[in-house]
Amino acid sequence: MDLFLQFLANGLVTGTFYALSALGLTLIFGLMRVVNFAHGEFYMLGGVLGWFVTSHLGLDFFSGLIVVAAIMAAFGWLVDRVLIERVRGQGEEPGILLTIGLSIFLANSALLLAGTAPHKIEGPLPNAPVFLGPVVLTEMRIFAVAVCAALILGAHLLIKKTKLGRAMRATFQDPMAAQLAGIKTARVYASTFALGSILAASAGMLLGAIYSTQVTIGGIVSLKAFVVVILGGMGSFGGAIVGGLVLGVAEALWGGYVSTGMVDIVGFIIVILTLIFKPYGLFSARAERV
Amino acid sequence: MNHINPLLHIRDLHVAYGKAAALHGIDLDIALGEIVALIGANGAGKSTTLRAISGLLKPTSGSITWEGKNITGWSADLVVAQGIAHCPEERHIWPAMTVKENLMLGGFLCRSHVEVEDRIGMAFHRFPRLRERQKQLAGTLSGGEQQMLAIARALMSEPRLLLLDEPSLGLSPKMADEVFEVVREINAHGVTVMVVEQNVYNALSVASRAYVVETGRITTSDDAARLLKDPEVLNAYLGA
Repeated sequence: MDLFLQFLANGLVTGTFYALSALGLTLIFGLMRVVNFAHGEFYMLGGVLGWFVTSHLGLDFFSGLIVVAAIMAAFGWLVDRVLIERVRGQGEEPGILLTIGLSIFLANSALLLAGTAPHKIEGPLPNAPVFLGPVVLTEMRIFAVAVCAALILGAHLLIKKTKLGRAMRATFQDPMAAQLAGIKTARVYASTFALGSILAASAGMLLGAIYSTQVTIGGIVSLKAFVVVILGGMGSFGGAIVGGLVLGVAEALWGGYVSTGMVDIVGFIIVILTLIFKPYGLFSARAERV
Repeated sequence: MNHINPLLHIRDLHVAYGKAAALHGIDLDIALGEIVALIGANGAGKSTTLRAISGLLKPTSGSITWEGKNITGWSADLVVAQGIAHCPEERHIWPAMTVKENLMLGGFLCRSHVEVEDRIGMAFHRFPRLRERQKQLAGTLSGGEQQMLAIARALMSEPRLLLLDEPSLGLSPKMADEVFEVVREINAHGVTVMVVEQNVYNALSVASRAYVVETGRITTSDDAARLLKDPEVLNAYLGA
């Protein structure tokens, strides 16, 4: 039982990271209908940039996170204005090809600049163990989960409560009506892309402080984010959170009781089962698109 | 019509969808305080004219002048900021947002939160049904309520000119009458209205003047009352 609780705790911790990372993907898909295959590379850039600003520029973790978020927001904004803008309204395929190309470009550019070795980001807290009853976690992990939760909550409040968030939802539901209300929809799209980039990059930097960051990580991150988004329902905010936690826990239990070597298979099993039994995911946003 | 003071002045307006020309040189004028109807068969170019005025479509040539200012080719957000609101065909409310959120967004360009709340209060005063349903998702409203919401949303920008596209589409005759009653009331409060309708009798009964549009051109313009009594016009252009 104690072991089970430990696996469960580990799974929930990992699941929070999956949720944060998938949130950026589902936001960009749900609000903009762009399937962003470069999502994992945005995550990777967050990690690599985080490593660069903390170890080379000597910033502390928090300042580093803010700088990385600012850089990635600008980067996401530019990607939308310069690249995505050109294929907007032409269906999903051109966007898919464009972001696949972008992911290859980003991964190889990063490879050229940062090399293949994994980089460790210095976290703000030690990896000292914390005992919660029978469960052991580290301070850094608890801290990272708290930051993830804060970012998720922040994104939720931004979308539900602010004027920009309302403009985002209006643009998603009916871009023409949004234009007629005076909303500059091009800016809304760029802001959404910037927000998705910030979420992905923040997840990358937090995880880089717990494990390490590597320029080749993008593919597997995209894959897991897609698993979460398919499980939770494309474009669903709550779905990304629940999906992330389910994937994290499922992987932890599989790793604990079955085999650690084949943990990544869990995601594929989940995707297959989801597509067979709940093809639109657990919390599909389809009902919203009347 | 008061020719000295045209609020909106359109000359030789051409609009094309890709290579297919939809408007072949439209001339029209709207004076302050009028209700003007644009009538004609399906596909004649009525909606296209409204979409060109509100900035959803860029004209290929011609000019649109608003209070002496050339606004030809301006984007939609700039046009609405000038005081022209467009309530589009099929309503286009945001279905997964609440009635109140729809109204708030109608006042998107208004910077003052207090002012937006005031305007929402006025909208609720005008449309009590919307107050009752303010927390409901707009997609759950009936067709008539959705049309009222669409008009209320357009008025949230406090326009001086309201462009109304097919406000009675899909509504019962009783509901359509209510909508046109609202249009008269809005006009009585000083908002100039340009209404596009396929239902000629409705349009001509609310409007003071009308333009008849046929395949991208204005073919007739006259007092509404006179057009309403002219069976030849109705038969020839509208198949009524």
